[in-house]
Amino acid sequence: MTGCERVERMFARRDQDRVPRCDAYWPETITRWQREGLQWDHSDALRLLGTDFQSLCWSWPAAFPGQREVLAQDAETETVRDAWGGVARFWKGRSGTPEHISFGCDTREAWETIYRPAMLARPNQIDTRLAALRFQEGRQLGRWTHLTGVEGFEALRRLIGDEACLIAMIEDPDWIRDIVTVHTDVVLRSLEGVIAEGVEPDGLWIYGDMAYNHATMCSPAMYRDLVWPAHKRMADWAHARGLHVIYHTDGRVSDVLDLYIAAGFECLQPIEAKAGMDIRKFAPTHGSRLAMFGNIDVMKMGTNNLGLIEEEIRTKFAAGMATRGYAYHSDHSVPPQVSWQTYQAIIGFIDRYGTY
Amino acid sequence: MPLLNDLTAAVAAGKRTDTVRLTQELLAAGTLPQAVVEQGLVPGMAIVGERFKKNEIFVPEMLVAARAMKEALKLLEPLLAQAGIKPKYTAIIGTVQGDLHDIGKNLISMMWRGANFAVVDLGTNVSPEKYLAAAQEHKAHLVGLSALLTTTMPAMKETVRAIKAAGLSGTKIMIGGAPITQEFADDIGADGYAADAGTAVDVAKQLVSEAA
Repeated sequence: MTGCERVERMFARRDQDRVPRCDAYWPETITRWQREGLQWDHSDALRLLGTDFQSLCWSWPAAFPGQREVLAQDAETETVRDAWGGVARFWKGRSGTPEHISFGCDTREAWETIYRPAMLARPNQIDTRLAALRFQEGRQLGRWTHLTGVEGFEALRRLIGDEACLIAMIEDPDWIRDIVTVHTDVVLRSLEGVIAEGVEPDGLWIYGDMAYNHATMCSPAMYRDLVWPAHKRMADWAHARGLHVIYHTDGRVSDVLDLYIAAGFECLQPIEAKAGMDIRKFAPTHGSRLAMFGNIDVMKMGTNNLGLIEEEIRTKFAAGMATRGYAYHSDHSVPPQVSWQTYQAIIGFIDRYGTY
Repeated sequence: MPLLNDLTAAVAAGKRTDTVRLTQELLAAGTLPQAVVEQGLVPGMAIVGERFKKNEIFVPEMLVAARAMKEALKLLEPLLAQAGIKPKYTAIIGTVQGDLHDIGKNLISMMWRGANFAVVDLGTNVSPEKYLAAAQEHKAHLVGLSALLTTTMPAMKETVRAIKAAGLSGTKIMIGGAPITQEFADDIGADGYAADAGTAVDVAKQLVSEAA
């Protein structure tokens, strides 16, 4: 069975030979593993895992594509004005979330006079030829190929910042709706450009972190009003082209699972365990309508306690596989506390418990 | 006093204009600035914290409430300083070394200010030495450590160790952030842990009262 067949059967809730697999790693994890025996890079780790997924492109439209102006730097960090007009401090040579210092698009006026026209003037920001090459490679490897696009809420936070975004959701909801709509227009036009290149992907993987460990960033009602229509639009666009839809979000999203299903999301990833998400609870209630992709706790992986990790995989695989709608992924990204020896053992557990 | 109750309700609802207007009216009527803070604004933010813990309100509502209180404090702080009145407790807060994430830290900072703590925000990527120096300089009752990433959790352990080793007897240490658990807090010797911004106020109050 190819990876593509496996994932398609997961969406159809039909028997597979084994659960589909994919994973993500912090760069520091790969550096550690290279010292401990991993021969190449993250793609080598994914190959050894037996990944079934192939990303073709990444669509996160910016107002000023390619802009990256270094404003200041020290031994550890550099402060950069980015393609979205914001200023953020990044680590040099290591991963981690940047510190956002300011946002160029900090008023509705700035949006309407500068950022909105700039985004609409650059409707296609994807290297479609590269996407076509990746598609050919994915097909040769038998993988399930997918377009990747960032959704409106994540775009809002990057463009105007958390605080302004969340306050405007109360005080100026029409502004929020407009940003989300314009962003979604540009994403879908960009993805359309990939398909126009002759690429025939299997799915759309939508990225957007709309929650943290306690709850969604805004109420379910506010999400339904301001962001959900754009989510549904993206899912409708995908379905009209015969594509399945995966939605990525970190955090505790238990209160909006039904809204995701209503939007047309067919699969949720990575289902963050440390935010209280547990597929042993959600697979029986939502698993027939929403495939579960991930949820293997990186905190447990980081203990390198094989007994603990095996129990995590055994019990969660059992819950997910009972619906035939489950794929393996860590619940975020595998951290550098996990040894290469442990990760090889994890692959062994996935082999053992992930076979139908 | 009805106006104080109205002020509490205005803060809790995040009504900035009403909060400022009611603060001005209370001061004009001769209400002491300290009473405006303690009997009007702080109870309003306490309502926000309680509702947030129960998921009755979310981050946007918390932000507009904190902003309303901040606007009122702009009027009150010069008067409080003039009268020599300071908050009873001082807290230091920051995101630990190696971590540049700040929204969680900022929310806790707002809520602690809302509970009438004096808050010194050290920003992000704060070294153990900087936390310790600030705790000593400000005679902090509380030090709050935030981390978003599993990769920066070890920096919390180092910071707790540095502060404990300095023997600051009146200083309690509290930790929080997406990957943090009570178990981890216990493991590294932190005095307290809070899972959300509402609970962070309760835990902070409990810790400083224990230390008093």
